[in-house]
Amino acid sequence: MKKFLPLLALGLLAGCTSLVSTGDRLERGLTPPDAVNYVTTKADGTFETQINDHRIAGKLALLAARKSKTPAGFAQAQFELRNDSLLGRTINVSFEWLAADGRVTETQPNWIVTPLEPGAITLVNATALKAESAECRLRLLSR
Amino acid sequence: MNKLLALAATAFLVVGCGTPATYKDSNGRDLVVSLEKVDIQDFATAGSTMLQSMVNAPAFQKAGAAPVLQVGNVLNDTASNFDTSLLLTKITSPLVNAGRVRLLESDPAAVAARKATPGAAVPVAEFVLKGKILEDRSNAGRTRQASFVFQLTLVEVKSSLAVWQDEKIVTKQGSKNSVGF
Repeated sequence: MKKFLPLLALGLLAGCTSLVSTGDRLERGLTPPDAVNYVTTKADGTFETQINDHRIAGKLALLAARKSKTPAGFAQAQFELRNDSLLGRTINVSFEWLAADGRVTETQPNWIVTPLEPGAITLVNATALKAESAECRLRLLSR
Repeated sequence: MNKLLALAATAFLVVGCGTPATYKDSNGRDLVVSLEKVDIQDFATAGSTMLQSMVNAPAFQKAGAAPVLQVGNVLNDTASNFDTSLLLTKITSPLVNAGRVRLLESDPAAVAARKATPGAAVPVAEFVLKGKILEDRSNAGRTRQASFVFQLTLVEVKSSLAVWQDEKIVTKQGSKNSVGF
């Protein structure tokens, strides 16, 4: 009996990876979920932010949201982000384009994983493919 | 008694530790991250990044309303076997669906159809998209690192010049595969 106990413990610790994912699920259950945050450009040249994950508020600064047109007349947006925390941080970004009436016209659904060193600045560039796309909505997810 | 205990321990390990399969959002963050292969999200990352880069190329912007694009060879020079359309579709689909390019089909049926209609206005490719996917591996102790390099080139047919070129590197590091980013 005693011979099998270390074997059982070893099996659980070394071989059973689902224990780790169970732990991860428990931890996620105890902490607020990572929420998606948005920055949307507006027709008047300004932008609107919607912070749903307050853990990144004050740690990630949006320095600018610029909007322009390509020579062919398609909308372009550039978002400038800075990691204001003292630790390296990974920001995941994606975006979608909206028509003037608010309809979603284009979407880049996959997350682009962007590791940021403390103080580092990154640029997110988005160019619309459709002429009706007018405003860009940046999606941000911290991890 | 010992045999019974061993059987019980084995059954516990086999039955109790499995994770049931569930559906996941293909664009979500709970996908498997593999060190030994290019994951589906790596194609999406490389494809969407390079699409944005390509549409900003001056030559592409100067092209007509919907230039004719032909997909050339994309060489898979990695150790894993996959269809390179996993990358190319991420670039061509948004462009075709937005009416920004006309995609010239180059499969045998399309070629035969063009030959069978002499005198018809056959579109000619104005641009050809070609590329290569490479990998680089290194390790330090138990930590393994895999970099997958996606290289694409847009060639203007009339001048045979490369008018846009980009490289996107996806690097993954760890000692074993994991779930999520």
